[in-house]
Amino acid sequence: MKWIGPDVRTAALVTVMAAISVPGTWGQERVHSFDVASKTFSVDWILDASNTSKAAVQVSGLSPAVLRQLRRSKWESPQWQQLLAVFAATGDAAALPRLPPVSGIYRVLPDVLRFELHFPLESGLTYQAIFQPSRLPGGRASGDTVMADFRAPARPPGPSTVVTHVYPSSESLPENLLKFYIHFSAAMSRGRIYDHIHLRKGNGIDIELPFLEIDEELWDPSMTRLTLFIDPGRIKREVRPLEEIGPALEAGKSYALVIDPEWKDSLGNPLQRGFQKAFTVGPADREPPDAGKWQVSRPKPGTREMLTVTFPEPMDHALAQRVIHVTDASGRPVVGNVALENDERRWVFTPNDQWLGGNYHLIVQTTIEDLAGNNIGKPFEVDLFESVQRRPLTPTVTLSFTVR
Amino acid sequence: MKRISNPLVFALLAVALLAGSVQAGKLTADMSEGKPAFQSMGPLAFGPEGILFVADTKAAAIVAVATGDTAAASRSKPIKVEGINQKIAGLLGTTADQILIDDLAVNPISKSAYLAVSRGRGPEAIPVLVRLKTGGDLEVFGLDKVKFSRAELPDAPVDGMVGQGNRQSNPRRESITDIAFLDGRVLVAGLANEEFASTLRAVPFPFKTVAGGTSVEIYHGAHGRFETRSPVRTFVTYNIAKQAHLLAAYTCTPLVQFPISDLKPGAKIMGKTIAELGNRNRPLDMIVYQRDGKDYLLMANNSRGVMKISTDQIEAVEGISAPVPDGGKKGLSYETIENWTGVDQLDRLDEQNVVVLRRAEAGSLNLESLPLP
Repeated sequence: MKWIGPDVRTAALVTVMAAISVPGTWGQERVHSFDVASKTFSVDWILDASNTSKAAVQVSGLSPAVLRQLRRSKWESPQWQQLLAVFAATGDAAALPRLPPVSGIYRVLPDVLRFELHFPLESGLTYQAIFQPSRLPGGRASGDTVMADFRAPARPPGPSTVVTHVYPSSESLPENLLKFYIHFSAAMSRGRIYDHIHLRKGNGIDIELPFLEIDEELWDPSMTRLTLFIDPGRIKREVRPLEEIGPALEAGKSYALVIDPEWKDSLGNPLQRGFQKAFTVGPADREPPDAGKWQVSRPKPGTREMLTVTFPEPMDHALAQRVIHVTDASGRPVVGNVALENDERRWVFTPNDQWLGGNYHLIVQTTIEDLAGNNIGKPFEVDLFESVQRRPLTPTVTLSFTVR
Repeated sequence: MKRISNPLVFALLAVALLAGSVQAGKLTADMSEGKPAFQSMGPLAFGPEGILFVADTKAAAIVAVATGDTAAASRSKPIKVEGINQKIAGLLGTTADQILIDDLAVNPISKSAYLAVSRGRGPEAIPVLVRLKTGGDLEVFGLDKVKFSRAELPDAPVDGMVGQGNRQSNPRRESITDIAFLDGRVLVAGLANEEFASTLRAVPFPFKTVAGGTSVEIYHGAHGRFETRSPVRTFVTYNIAKQAHLLAAYTCTPLVQFPISDLKPGAKIMGKTIAELGNRNRPLDMIVYQRDGKDYLLMANNSRGVMKISTDQIEAVEGISAPVPDGGKKGLSYETIENWTGVDQLDRLDEQNVVVLRRAEAGSLNLESLPLP
């Protein structure tokens, strides 16, 4: 059964949000046909074959006269809800105050009354439609309450998502490390994530509040990568020991970044297993990266040899991938693929096309960071006794190389 | 959430609103009508004329929505909605564990509470604006046909992968941590998820050409001689010596002030730290209010009852530039309202009351009004 339209009259309860698809399809159009519970009416759950994220409840058996009256009624939402409403059954409804009806739109069609839910059905959740004929226009009590339950198909059970990698890859990190990136094999879920992430000392004790906890949470758009900043207030500084709760990391000690398996992915399943990255901490790094110390390889003309840039120290994984690019002598971009190797100490570029003999440029944005957040020409920490205005910063530096 | 929290500015706006039909609707006149697209809804802030500013972090945009909710409430009624996350879940046809309430803002005209809700927790989550009607019922605030305007935040740094691989999935994103409206500008605090760039922008409203929003770096001296670019967690606007300032709260809770007039494109600002509020403490939300002729800041945080901070000495207080030993306090004095536990969000309901979203037992959230301390 397709949606019937256009409708004769629409009574908007509340206005619709964008309908966004929910994973999975249910494969049949008429999902549940509740046998007539009274002699007059039936209540059916309907899924739209063309858009499986849309669900509706339909009441049939209404006389043309009643439908006409419904069309002409000037009901507000409470009156519609008394006649027909859908509730999400959470299982513990008895323990809670009565939940409001599910948001949606009422439509009076030529021979049925339909309620279209605003939002996709939640997998595994049972919904209950309640139709009360006694609330039909005219006030004539006519028949018993009709109810129709529908359980949205559950997602396949079982955990499958894992932590695939944590950057920086190195097992030795500076005392003033600025951030981690946690990569997952599938999309994760947002909300109170910091409960699942621990910075653990070698003695097994968790460090208190080591991370910058941002309510918005710093995810990439696919929610497979989380950025985890060490709280800047917990990074050890140059001249002064932190007098407060101490630095999160101290040189000469061992730590582990620990991810709990209870963290749920976007489908609501916990991780397949927990994750642990053990590392030792070395001295602080307060030196801005110096592109002049980078070693640039010389690929041969007529080949697609890799171009490599070797850094004296590991660089930030995300930024090193994004802020270095190659142009030819006239500034045209050279297209290719970028990878990082050797614990982010080596940038590797494979061109799509063969190198031609001649000059090329590596354009590096100075916002590139080392593991301590130092940029080219700009340390992470700023000496307040110098004016912060006095640091000129060019947006890019250029390294040139010749293919011959 | 922030709204006009400065009494002087508030009064001026109130005068402007009362000035008659010439002014009315001026800010919404150039808005387009239709359905604004949202990828997400984060921080909320009300401006004048019932205009709600909604930060869409995923889209890196601020959307101004004319709610049309401009019938003044003569007096606000007490609010108490227990298990509001369960109730919103029921309204949206899902379970409470699939509901995140990202911000709360009270319309200063109608006194209706608006909630930025995420239905779902993954990348496909649906953003929903939920309104608490007078009487305590919840409704989805319809956005199918509203007047709105939109400001795209200035582009992320040029993608260095131009013409190279991985273009289709640039993982960089800048989160919006707080917004406020003041005097024709929307102030936006943000933090990127790659380079450590914490920015504050002032976007003129009504939105015109917004590509040139102001981006600044703020430094403060709370940790001794050296300081880093810390992200602003939450902020309010406040007049100090008749000049509009931002009061910004950072992690490990220094409270820093700087004049809004300093917010110029590309500026690097040195803020003045006016209070150290002790450590093990993460600020969550902040408002300004008046009591007995004095101004106070009320700050929700993650580890103790809310803090009531006196502004008595705000003009006279010296900037804190030396370390504060033993996680101590310095600068403006404050008291902790111990029994206001679990407060995640707050906004002023009226002159006497505040609305808070607070955590109760077993993951339940309550929305309730409380008399200002």
